[in-house]
Amino acid sequence: MNSPDDFEAELLALGEALDLPAPPPSDVARAVRARLEEAGPVSDAAPSHGPVSDAAPSRGPLGRGWWRPGSERRRVPRWRWITTGVAAVLVALVGLTPQGQAAVAHVLRFAGIEIHIDEPGPLPTGMPRPLPGETRVSLSKARETAGFPIMVPAELGEPRDVRVADGGRVVSLFWPGVRMDAYNGVLEVVWRKDLGEPWPEQVTVGSSPGWWITGPHGLTYIPSSGGETETVERVAGPTLIWQRSVVGYRLEGVADPARAKKIAESLR
Amino acid sequence: MLVARYSAVAHRTAALLGAGDEAEDVVQEAFVKAFRHLAGFRRDAAFKPWLLRIVANQTHTTTRARGRRGELTLRIGAQPELRVPDDPEGAVIATDRRARLLDAVRALPEREREAVVCRYFLQLSEAETAEVLGCPLGSVKSRTSRGLARLRKEVGRELS
Repeated sequence: MNSPDDFEAELLALGEALDLPAPPPSDVARAVRARLEEAGPVSDAAPSHGPVSDAAPSRGPLGRGWWRPGSERRRVPRWRWITTGVAAVLVALVGLTPQGQAAVAHVLRFAGIEIHIDEPGPLPTGMPRPLPGETRVSLSKARETAGFPIMVPAELGEPRDVRVADGGRVVSLFWPGVRMDAYNGVLEVVWRKDLGEPWPEQVTVGSSPGWWITGPHGLTYIPSSGGETETVERVAGPTLIWQRSVVGYRLEGVADPARAKKIAESLR
Repeated sequence: MLVARYSAVAHRTAALLGAGDEAEDVVQEAFVKAFRHLAGFRRDAAFKPWLLRIVANQTHTTTRARGRRGELTLRIGAQPELRVPDDPEGAVIATDRRARLLDAVRALPEREREAVVCRYFLQLSEAETAEVLGCPLGSVKSRTSRGLARLRKEVGRELS
Protein backbone atom coordinates (compact mmCIF):
# COMPACT_ATOMS: atom_id res chain seq x y z
CA MET A 1 0.00 0.00 0.00
CA ASN A 2 2.83 2.31 0.74
CA SER A 3 5.18 3.18 -2.02
CA PRO A 4 8.26 5.00 -0.75
CA ASP A 5 6.87 8.28 -2.03
CA ASP A 6 3.59 7.83 -0.20
CA PHE A 7 5.36 7.15 3.02
CA GLU A 8 7.65 10.13 2.69
CA ALA A 9 4.68 12.31 1.78
CA GLU A 10 2.96 11.08 4.92
CA LEU A 11 5.94 12.08 7.01
CA LEU A 12 5.99 15.53 5.41
CA ALA A 13 2.27 15.94 6.10
CA LEU A 14 2.76 14.82 9.67
CA GLY A 15 5.52 17.37 10.10
CA GLU A 16 3.22 20.11 8.86
CA ALA A 17 0.45 19.02 11.20
CA LEU A 18 2.66 19.22 14.28
CA ASP A 19 1.68 21.91 16.68
CA LEU A 20 4.87 23.76 17.54
CA PRO A 21 4.06 27.05 19.18
CA ALA A 22 6.67 29.78 19.02
CA PRO A 23 6.54 33.09 20.89
CA PRO A 24 6.15 36.27 18.86
CA PRO A 25 9.48 37.24 17.24
CA SER A 26 9.40 40.63 18.98
CA ASP A 27 9.46 38.89 22.37
CA VAL A 28 12.35 36.72 21.25
CA ALA A 29 14.26 39.75 19.99
CA ARG A 30 13.72 41.53 23.30
CA ALA A 31 14.93 38.51 25.29
CA VAL A 32 17.98 38.07 23.09
CA ARG A 33 18.88 41.73 23.44
CA ALA A 34 18.55 41.47 27.21
CA ARG A 35 20.89 38.49 27.23
CA LEU A 36 23.44 40.24 25.06
CA GLU A 37 23.38 43.30 27.28
CA GLU A 38 23.58 41.19 30.41
CA ALA A 39 26.74 39.52 29.18
CA GLY A 40 28.30 42.96 28.80
CA PRO A 41 31.24 43.99 26.68
CA VAL A 42 33.91 42.49 28.92
CA SER A 43 32.55 38.99 29.00
CA ASP A 44 35.07 36.88 27.19
CA ALA A 45 34.16 33.39 28.25
CA ALA A 46 34.87 30.80 25.63
CA PRO A 47 31.70 30.01 23.73
CA SER A 48 30.28 26.97 25.39
CA HIS A 49 28.78 25.39 22.35
CA GLY A 50 28.64 21.69 22.95
CA PRO A 51 30.01 19.87 19.96
CA VAL A 52 27.69 17.26 18.55
CA SER A 53 29.14 14.00 19.75
CA ASP A 54 29.59 12.50 16.33
CA ALA A 55 30.68 15.65 14.53
CA ALA A 56 34.10 16.86 13.74
CA PRO A 57 33.94 20.14 15.69
CA SER A 58 36.25 21.97 13.34
CA ARG A 59 33.76 21.60 10.53
CA GLY A 60 30.92 23.16 12.41
CA PRO A 61 29.77 26.75 12.11
CA LEU A 62 31.18 27.61 15.48
CA GLY A 63 34.46 25.94 14.81
CA ARG A 64 35.55 27.55 11.59
CA GLY A 65 38.64 28.94 13.18
CA TRP A 66 36.88 31.91 14.65
CA TRP A 67 38.00 32.89 18.08
CA ARG A 68 40.58 30.24 18.61
CA PRO A 69 42.79 31.36 21.48
CA GLY A 70 46.03 32.64 20.08
CA SER A 71 44.73 33.20 16.60
CA GLU A 72 45.23 36.62 15.07
CA ARG A 73 41.57 37.38 15.15
CA ARG A 74 41.82 37.44 18.88
CA ARG A 75 43.03 40.99 18.47
CA VAL A 76 39.65 42.16 17.30
CA PRO A 77 37.93 43.41 20.43
CA ARG A 78 35.09 41.17 21.22
CA TRP A 79 32.75 44.00 22.16
CA ARG A 80 32.62 45.04 18.56
CA TRP A 81 30.89 41.84 17.58
CA ILE A 82 28.59 42.12 20.52
CA THR A 83 27.75 45.66 19.50
CA THR A 84 26.96 44.38 16.03
CA GLY A 85 24.65 41.82 17.56
CA VAL A 86 22.90 44.34 19.73
CA ALA A 87 22.49 46.63 16.74
CA ALA A 88 21.00 43.78 14.75
CA VAL A 89 18.52 43.00 17.49
CA LEU A 90 17.67 46.67 17.82
CA VAL A 91 16.98 46.80 14.11
CA ALA A 92 14.68 43.84 14.54
CA LEU A 93 12.91 45.53 17.43
CA VAL A 94 12.62 48.89 15.79
CA GLY A 95 11.04 47.32 12.75
CA LEU A 96 8.52 45.41 14.82
CA THR A 97 7.14 48.00 17.18
CA PRO A 98 4.70 50.68 16.04
CA GLN A 99 6.88 53.37 17.57
CA GLY A 100 9.81 52.03 15.61
CA GLN A 101 7.96 52.02 12.35
CA ALA A 102 7.59 55.76 12.28
CA ALA A 103 11.35 56.18 12.38
CA VAL A 104 12.09 53.84 9.49
CA ALA A 105 11.68 54.73 5.85
CA HIS A 106 8.88 52.70 4.37
CA VAL A 107 8.36 51.65 0.85
CA LEU A 108 4.87 50.84 -0.29
CA ARG A 109 4.43 49.25 -3.68
CA PHE A 110 1.06 49.42 -5.26
CA ALA A 111 -0.22 49.37 -8.82
CA GLY A 112 3.07 50.24 -10.47
CA ILE A 113 3.80 52.98 -7.95
CA GLU A 114 6.54 52.85 -5.37
CA ILE A 115 5.77 55.18 -2.47
CA HIS A 116 8.73 56.08 -0.27
CA ILE A 117 7.63 57.40 3.08
CA ASP A 118 10.41 59.03 5.03
CA GLU A 119 11.42 62.28 6.65
CA PRO A 120 10.18 64.85 4.17
CA GLY A 121 13.04 65.95 1.94
CA PRO A 122 13.08 68.97 -0.34
CA LEU A 123 10.51 68.77 -3.08
CA PRO A 124 11.74 68.77 -6.68
CA THR A 125 12.15 72.23 -8.16
CA GLY A 126 12.32 73.62 -11.66
CA MET A 127 9.97 73.59 -14.57
CA PRO A 128 7.90 70.47 -15.03
CA ARG A 129 9.11 68.57 -18.05
CA PRO A 130 6.94 66.39 -20.25
CA LEU A 131 7.17 62.61 -20.00
CA PRO A 132 9.47 60.87 -22.52
CA GLY A 133 8.03 60.99 -26.02
CA GLU A 134 4.94 62.84 -24.85
CA THR A 135 2.69 63.84 -27.73
CA ARG A 136 -0.68 65.51 -27.91
CA VAL A 137 -3.27 63.34 -29.60
CA SER A 138 -7.00 62.95 -29.95
CA LEU A 139 -8.81 60.51 -27.68
CA SER A 140 -9.46 58.12 -30.57
CA LYS A 141 -5.82 58.29 -31.62
CA ALA A 142 -4.77 57.56 -28.02
CA ARG A 143 -7.04 54.53 -28.01
CA GLU A 144 -5.22 53.22 -31.10
CA THR A 145 -1.75 53.91 -29.70
CA ALA A 146 -2.05 52.71 -26.14
CA GLY A 147 -1.52 49.08 -25.30
CA PHE A 148 -4.53 49.00 -22.98
CA PRO A 149 -8.17 50.12 -23.04
CA ILE A 150 -8.66 53.78 -22.21
CA MET A 151 -11.56 54.77 -20.02
CA VAL A 152 -12.83 58.25 -19.25
CA PRO A 153 -14.44 59.27 -15.93
CA ALA A 154 -18.04 60.16 -16.69
CA GLU A 155 -17.97 62.65 -13.80
CA LEU A 156 -15.49 64.84 -15.68
CA GLY A 157 -16.73 64.34 -19.22
CA GLU A 158 -14.58 64.57 -22.32
CA PRO A 159 -10.99 65.52 -21.51
CA ARG A 160 -9.76 68.88 -22.79
CA ASP A 161 -6.40 67.45 -23.69
CA VAL A 162 -5.03 63.94 -24.26
CA ARG A 163 -1.37 62.97 -24.33
CA VAL A 164 0.37 59.68 -25.01
CA ALA A 165 3.92 59.11 -23.74
CA ASP A 166 6.70 56.53 -23.69
CA GLY A 167 5.49 54.45 -26.62
CA GLY A 168 1.90 54.20 -25.43
CA ARG A 169 2.77 53.16 -21.89
CA VAL A 170 1.15 56.22 -20.31
CA VAL A 171 -1.97 58.06 -21.43
CA SER A 172 -2.72 61.33 -19.65
CA LEU A 173 -6.10 62.99 -19.74
CA PHE A 174 -6.46 66.63 -18.72
CA TRP A 175 -9.31 68.77 -17.45
CA PRO A 176 -8.91 72.23 -15.95
CA GLY A 177 -6.72 71.71 -12.87
CA VAL A 178 -7.11 67.94 -13.00
CA ARG A 179 -4.92 65.31 -14.54
CA MET A 180 -5.48 61.57 -14.78
CA ASP A 181 -2.65 59.25 -15.83
CA ALA A 182 -3.52 55.75 -16.95
CA TYR A 183 -0.57 53.46 -17.42
CA ASN A 184 0.20 49.97 -18.48
CA GLY A 185 2.29 47.74 -16.32
CA VAL A 186 1.20 47.60 -12.72
CA LEU A 187 3.82 44.94 -11.98
CA GLU A 188 6.83 47.08 -12.75
CA VAL A 189 7.60 50.41 -11.16
CA VAL A 190 6.25 53.20 -13.35
CA TRP A 191 6.20 56.02 -10.80
CA ARG A 192 8.00 56.78 -7.62
CA LYS A 193 6.49 59.06 -5.00
CA ASP A 194 8.46 60.54 -2.12
CA LEU A 195 6.56 61.84 0.83
CA GLY A 196 6.68 62.37 4.56
CA GLU A 197 3.82 62.45 7.01
CA PRO A 198 0.92 62.07 6.85
CA TRP A 199 0.84 58.52 5.65
CA PRO A 200 -1.22 57.71 2.61
CA GLU A 201 -4.71 56.64 3.46
CA GLN A 202 -6.05 53.35 2.21
CA VAL A 203 -9.35 53.71 0.39
CA THR A 204 -11.64 51.60 -1.73
CA VAL A 205 -12.39 52.57 -5.28
CA GLY A 206 -15.35 50.53 -6.49
CA SER A 207 -14.28 47.14 -5.30
CA SER A 208 -10.54 47.65 -5.65
CA PRO A 209 -8.08 49.01 -3.10
CA GLY A 210 -6.49 52.39 -3.60
CA TRP A 211 -4.44 55.01 -1.75
CA TRP A 212 -5.11 58.64 -1.10
CA ILE A 213 -2.09 60.93 -0.75
CA THR A 214 -3.08 64.25 0.81
CA GLY A 215 -0.20 66.62 0.51
CA PRO A 216 2.25 67.73 -2.13
CA HIS A 217 4.92 65.14 -2.83
CA GLY A 218 7.77 64.37 -5.19
CA LEU A 219 6.76 62.40 -8.24
CA THR A 220 9.24 60.65 -10.49
CA TYR A 221 8.41 58.90 -13.71
CA ILE A 222 10.56 55.80 -14.30
CA PRO A 223 10.80 55.22 -18.06
CA SER A 224 10.26 51.70 -19.32
CA SER A 225 13.42 49.66 -19.03
CA GLY A 226 15.96 49.64 -21.80
CA GLY A 227 15.40 53.24 -22.85
CA GLU A 228 18.03 55.92 -22.58
CA THR A 229 15.54 58.41 -21.29
CA GLU A 230 16.02 60.03 -17.92
CA THR A 231 13.55 59.94 -15.10
CA VAL A 232 11.21 62.92 -14.90
CA GLU A 233 10.69 64.61 -11.54
CA ARG A 234 8.12 67.12 -10.44
CA VAL A 235 5.93 68.11 -7.54
CA ALA A 236 2.53 66.51 -7.45
CA GLY A 237 -0.55 67.62 -5.53
CA PRO A 238 -3.12 65.48 -3.73
CA THR A 239 -3.45 62.24 -5.62
CA LEU A 240 -5.67 59.19 -5.64
CA ILE A 241 -4.08 56.01 -6.97
CA TRP A 242 -5.91 52.83 -7.84
CA GLN A 243 -5.83 49.93 -10.19
CA ARG A 244 -8.42 48.45 -12.48
CA SER A 245 -7.53 45.07 -14.04
CA VAL A 246 -3.98 45.54 -15.34
CA VAL A 247 -4.17 49.31 -15.72
CA GLY A 248 -2.93 51.65 -13.01
CA TYR A 249 -4.45 55.10 -12.51
CA ARG A 250 -3.46 58.24 -10.72
CA LEU A 251 -5.83 61.16 -10.41
CA GLU A 252 -4.20 64.39 -9.41
CA GLY A 253 -5.59 67.82 -8.62
CA VAL A 254 -8.85 66.97 -6.84
CA ALA A 255 -8.37 68.11 -3.23
CA ASP A 256 -11.41 66.35 -1.76
CA PRO A 257 -10.87 62.59 -1.40
CA ALA A 258 -14.59 61.79 -1.60
CA ARG A 259 -14.85 63.71 -4.86
CA ALA A 260 -11.71 62.03 -6.21
CA LYS A 261 -13.15 58.65 -5.35
CA LYS A 262 -16.43 59.50 -7.08
CA ILE A 263 -14.55 60.51 -10.21
CA ALA A 264 -12.45 57.33 -10.09
CA GLU A 265 -15.53 55.16 -9.77
CA SER A 266 -17.11 56.80 -12.80
CA LEU A 267 -14.61 55.37 -15.31
CA ARG A 268 -16.45 54.20 -18.41
CA MET B 1 15.85 41.22 11.32
CA LEU B 2 17.50 37.87 11.85
CA VAL B 3 15.35 37.12 14.85
CA ALA B 4 12.18 38.14 13.08
CA ARG B 5 12.99 36.05 10.07
CA TYR B 6 14.30 32.90 11.68
CA SER B 7 12.53 32.79 15.04
CA ALA B 8 9.82 30.37 13.90
CA VAL B 9 12.13 27.88 12.21
CA ALA B 10 14.58 28.05 15.12
CA HIS B 11 11.82 27.20 17.61
CA ARG B 12 10.63 24.42 15.39
CA THR B 13 14.11 22.97 15.13
CA ALA B 14 14.75 23.15 18.87
CA ALA B 15 11.41 21.51 19.66
CA LEU B 16 11.83 18.80 17.04
CA LEU B 17 15.33 17.96 18.18
CA GLY B 18 14.06 17.43 21.68
CA ALA B 19 14.52 20.68 23.58
CA GLY B 20 11.05 20.28 25.05
CA ASP B 21 10.06 22.98 27.48
CA GLU B 22 13.44 24.57 27.11
CA ALA B 23 12.97 25.35 23.43
CA GLU B 24 12.57 29.08 24.11
CA ASP B 25 15.68 29.21 26.23
CA VAL B 26 17.61 27.21 23.63
CA VAL B 27 16.54 29.53 20.83
CA GLN B 28 17.43 32.69 22.73
CA GLU B 29 20.82 31.34 23.62
CA ALA B 30 21.36 30.22 20.04
CA PHE B 31 20.58 33.72 18.75
CA VAL B 32 22.97 35.21 21.29
CA LYS B 33 25.69 32.86 20.06
CA ALA B 34 24.85 33.51 16.44
CA PHE B 35 25.19 37.27 16.97
CA ARG B 36 28.51 36.82 18.71
CA HIS B 37 29.78 34.60 15.94
CA LEU B 38 28.44 36.47 12.96
CA ALA B 39 32.04 37.18 12.00
CA GLY B 40 32.62 33.46 11.66
CA PHE B 41 29.80 33.13 9.22
CA ARG B 42 31.00 32.90 5.65
CA ARG B 43 29.26 35.32 3.39
CA ASP B 44 28.81 32.72 0.69
CA ALA B 45 27.22 30.18 3.01
CA ALA B 46 23.52 29.83 3.62
CA PHE B 47 22.45 31.43 6.86
CA LYS B 48 19.61 29.12 7.81
CA PRO B 49 21.56 25.84 8.18
CA TRP B 50 24.33 27.74 9.97
CA LEU B 51 21.89 29.11 12.51
CA LEU B 52 20.09 25.79 12.85
CA ARG B 53 23.40 24.07 13.54
CA ILE B 54 23.86 26.41 16.48
CA VAL B 55 20.29 25.66 17.59
CA ALA B 56 21.01 21.91 17.27
CA ASN B 57 24.22 22.23 19.28
CA GLN B 58 22.50 24.27 21.92
CA THR B 59 19.70 21.71 22.12
CA HIS B 60 22.28 18.98 22.68
CA THR B 61 24.06 21.02 25.34
CA THR B 62 20.81 21.67 27.14
CA THR B 63 19.46 18.14 26.98
CA ARG B 64 22.84 16.65 27.99
CA ALA B 65 23.02 19.06 30.91
CA ARG B 66 19.74 17.86 32.27
CA GLY B 67 21.11 14.36 31.99
CA ARG B 68 18.59 12.75 29.77
CA ARG B 69 17.99 12.10 26.19
CA GLY B 70 16.12 14.78 24.35
CA GLU B 71 12.52 13.76 24.35
CA LEU B 72 10.17 14.60 21.59
CA THR B 73 7.32 16.24 23.41
CA LEU B 74 5.17 16.86 20.44
CA ARG B 75 1.54 16.82 19.78
CA ILE B 76 -0.32 16.84 16.58
CA GLY B 77 -2.08 20.11 16.11
CA ALA B 78 -5.36 20.91 14.48
CA GLN B 79 -5.58 19.04 11.24
CA PRO B 80 -8.11 20.80 9.10
CA GLU B 81 -7.06 18.80 6.06
CA LEU B 82 -8.14 15.63 7.79
CA ARG B 83 -11.68 16.75 8.41
CA VAL B 84 -13.61 14.96 5.74
CA PRO B 85 -17.29 15.40 6.59
CA ASP B 86 -18.38 12.64 4.28
CA ASP B 87 -15.98 10.13 5.74
CA PRO B 88 -15.66 10.51 9.51
CA GLU B 89 -14.45 6.94 9.87
CA GLY B 90 -11.67 7.46 7.34
CA ALA B 91 -10.64 10.66 9.14
CA VAL B 92 -10.38 8.82 12.45
CA ILE B 93 -8.21 6.14 10.87
CA ALA B 94 -5.97 8.75 9.29
CA THR B 95 -5.60 10.58 12.61
CA ASP B 96 -4.81 7.35 14.37
CA ARG B 97 -2.22 6.45 11.77
CA ARG B 98 -0.58 9.81 12.20
CA ALA B 99 -0.38 9.36 15.95
CA ARG B 100 1.22 5.94 15.46
CA LEU B 101 3.68 7.33 12.96
CA LEU B 102 4.63 10.09 15.38
CA ASP B 103 5.13 7.54 18.15
CA ALA B 104 7.34 5.53 15.83
CA VAL B 105 9.43 8.60 15.00
CA ARG B 106 9.79 9.29 18.72
CA ALA B 107 11.01 5.77 19.31
CA LEU B 108 13.72 5.90 16.64
CA PRO B 109 17.36 5.76 17.69
CA GLU B 110 18.52 9.33 18.24
CA ARG B 111 20.69 9.71 15.14
CA GLU B 112 18.12 8.28 12.80
CA ARG B 113 15.42 10.33 14.45
CA GLU B 114 17.38 13.54 13.99
CA ALA B 115 18.00 12.81 10.33
CA VAL B 116 14.33 11.99 9.72
CA VAL B 117 13.20 15.08 11.64
CA CYS B 118 15.51 17.36 9.64
CA ARG B 119 14.60 15.87 6.28
CA TYR B 120 10.84 15.54 6.70
CA PHE B 121 9.65 17.67 9.59
CA LEU B 122 11.96 20.60 8.92
CA GLN B 123 12.03 19.91 5.19
CA LEU B 124 15.75 20.50 4.90
CA SER B 125 17.81 19.18 2.00
CA GLU B 126 20.34 16.40 2.57
CA ALA B 127 23.18 18.92 2.42
CA GLU B 128 21.46 21.25 4.90
CA THR B 129 20.77 18.33 7.20
CA ALA B 130 24.44 17.35 7.07
CA GLU B 131 25.41 20.87 8.07
CA VAL B 132 22.84 21.16 10.84
CA LEU B 133 23.72 17.79 12.34
CA GLY B 134 27.42 18.22 11.68
CA CYS B 135 27.89 14.92 9.92
CA PRO B 136 28.92 13.84 6.42
CA LEU B 137 26.34 13.74 3.65
CA GLY B 138 26.69 9.96 3.43
CA SER B 139 25.66 9.57 7.06
CA VAL B 140 22.56 11.66 6.46
CA LYS B 141 21.57 9.40 3.59
CA SER B 142 22.18 6.17 5.51
CA ARG B 143 20.57 7.35 8.76
CA THR B 144 17.54 8.63 6.87
CA SER B 145 17.06 5.40 4.94
CA ARG B 146 17.58 3.26 8.06
CA GLY B 147 15.12 5.43 9.94
CA LEU B 148 12.57 5.26 7.12
CA ALA B 149 12.87 1.49 6.92
CA ARG B 150 12.32 1.20 10.66
CA LEU B 151 9.30 3.49 10.56
CA ARG B 152 7.77 1.62 7.68
CA LYS B 153 8.18 -1.64 9.52
CA GLU B 154 6.78 -0.29 12.80
CA VAL B 155 3.78 1.47 11.36
CA GLY B 156 3.09 -1.31 8.86
CA ARG B 157 3.18 -3.98 11.55
CA GLU B 158 0.87 -2.13 13.87
CA LEU B 159 -1.71 -1.67 11.19
CA SER B 160 -1.71 -5.19 9.86
